[in-house]
Amino acid sequence: MKTKLNLLATALSTLAVLTGSAGAQTADVLHYWTSGSESAALKIFADAFKAKGGTWVDSAVGGFDTARATALNRIAGGNPPTVLLDNIGEVADFAKQGILAPVDPEVAKDLTAHLPTVLAQRISIDGKLYAIPVDIGGGNWMWYSTKAFADIGAAPPKSWDEFFAEADKLRAKGYIPLAFGGQPWQEASLFYDVLLAQGRDTYKQITSGHDAKAAGGPAVVKAFEVMRKLTGYVDEGSQGREWNDATALVMKNKAAIQIMGDWAKGEFLSAGMVPGKDFGCMLAPGTQDAYQMVVDLFDFPKVSKPDNIAGQKLFEQVIADPALQAAFGDKKGSLPARLDADVSKSDICTQLGQKTLSDPAAQVPNYEFVYTADQEGQVKDLVSQFWSSPDMSAEDAAAAFSKIVAQSSGN
Amino acid sequence: MKAALLKNATIARLVVLPTIVVIIVCFYAPILWSAYISFTPSGMFPNYHFAGLMQYDRLLATDRWHVAFRNMLIFGVLFVSIAISLGSLLAILIDQNIKAEAVFRTILLYPLSMSFIVTGLAWQWFLNPTMGLQHFVQDLGWAGFRFDWLVRRNLSIYTIVIAAVWHSSGLVMAITLAGLRGIDPDIWRATRVEGIPRWRAYLHIMLPMLRPVMVTNVVLLAINVVKSYDLVVAMTQGGPGYSSDLPGKFVVDMAFQRGNIGQASAAAMAMLATVFIAVMPYLYLQMKRSG
Repeated sequence: MKTKLNLLATALSTLAVLTGSAGAQTADVLHYWTSGSESAALKIFADAFKAKGGTWVDSAVGGFDTARATALNRIAGGNPPTVLLDNIGEVADFAKQGILAPVDPEVAKDLTAHLPTVLAQRISIDGKLYAIPVDIGGGNWMWYSTKAFADIGAAPPKSWDEFFAEADKLRAKGYIPLAFGGQPWQEASLFYDVLLAQGRDTYKQITSGHDAKAAGGPAVVKAFEVMRKLTGYVDEGSQGREWNDATALVMKNKAAIQIMGDWAKGEFLSAGMVPGKDFGCMLAPGTQDAYQMVVDLFDFPKVSKPDNIAGQKLFEQVIADPALQAAFGDKKGSLPARLDADVSKSDICTQLGQKTLSDPAAQVPNYEFVYTADQEGQVKDLVSQFWSSPDMSAEDAAAAFSKIVAQSSGN
Repeated sequence: MKAALLKNATIARLVVLPTIVVIIVCFYAPILWSAYISFTPSGMFPNYHFAGLMQYDRLLATDRWHVAFRNMLIFGVLFVSIAISLGSLLAILIDQNIKAEAVFRTILLYPLSMSFIVTGLAWQWFLNPTMGLQHFVQDLGWAGFRFDWLVRRNLSIYTIVIAAVWHSSGLVMAITLAGLRGIDPDIWRATRVEGIPRWRAYLHIMLPMLRPVMVTNVVLLAINVVKSYDLVVAMTQGGPGYSSDLPGKFVVDMAFQRGNIGQASAAAMAMLATVFIAVMPYLYLQMKRSG
């Protein structure tokens, strides 16, 4: 069946080459941006691409995991997409395996000068850039119900100690202190935010530095202890809940805070809520001096047809444009990847993010930057198991975490 | 005459040949390929460098695999035994010449028409403590009522058994009922003449006569146990933690989410070995009988 489809696809694309004009620029874009705000954001790039004469073939696949499996199958089957919305952790692996074509040197030079350094380093191999980041999301945001904190007459927490002091008051007023979805990736990202609260330097040592000793050290033990305490402040129905259902609890003033990346902001905005008034945004407790970067980027699998190669070149120019990146970020709810893009018209959360991010010391990586998909999976298993096993000690969890970090020395 | 027979046999072989080729290319070749990959350090893409038992060492050191494997045994034993007992009981009850039999049959068989994904989602909502059964009963006034197995680490696998039994008991009922209807009425007459109570007749005469039917039931359900993936994904996503994980989900996660096909292949081989060990006694009996 699959071979048949492949044959059909090959036949169709051959036909397209035969009938198309010599200077055609075609991009078959494989992505998983199907939600309202995501597809609206992608449309900005698509429209600009078409306006410059390109032909956009939209290969949208619902869900990250499915998209990933599709991409791997198409690459392995010799029919790679022209442009791939990819995960930053994979760029280096893919490039080393010879799957990716490097970005055009001129685009790359201009872009590298304006990206956060840690980000540019991660996607460059032997002096060549292998992907174009289009936005920087923040992983360490706290979204809160302004009503809940007005009710207890307190300010939203700036540290986890403050949170624990307020949590019982919140509960007495009928609020769920922490809106949460018990899915492994949510548990892991909460863990990294709690870890970041133990100090950004320790965090960098463990993530970018792959320091296995620090990963088994007191900061990590403390982080797991905070996690254990937090298990007491979520509601019973949190198991398996989707992140946006947890966001809805804060929107409806049923829960006080949610720790979630800035994609959660899109949910509030699409409900017509105003940041600073109907809901609040702050960086997660204890992480005011850091911005955990979550990056969306496109890379370019090696292709052979001339119209696809031309399509890649045109696509690179479009998505590296600072004005288009700013417009894209406003729709998507994230910051432009280029630090020179103008965000003065964006909302207060975006501006707070940009201000934090402009300090190079505050730029800390998300775990996707530094760990392989395999390690990431192991961390998810570990944190998720810790979260649901009251008898597992913080020390044991830290020791297991240290073992996983130790595997990354070759990275 | 003899030549014609030979010719017939040759034609028959030729006709079967494409099927055999397809089976070898599409089933056995990938199994051999996976077996080889399980001895390599393959990550996201295959790497044909031989690396010994390294993937199996890691597999055996992975707690999640042990949990998944134990869950398969718990799930397998409970699901097969409960579904068969319940299904047979339902078949016997329906066999009592009741009125509107067709209606009952349809109702009981109905869950089977739903996919495991739909079954899993429906049961996930039904068992969710804050919006399902527990919430409903508490709202009725029994504030102390608790049924939160879905979110309890040591009980979540049993919720999957409940959903699977609900889904498949109807199938067992239909097959067993067909078997009961096929029993010679003379045997029933004989039991009445002997004055054997009805329940004993079922338990000691009819059900033992249905052995081939029961074997069919066990095989059909056991296939569901080994390939069970969709039900867990829809219902618990393997959670809380990885407490309700199953080997099938482990393999798919490793291969497609974590880019570790070496580890996925090793786990798949372990599953194959388990199935092989499970059917071994049956194969042995068959061979002994025919040989």
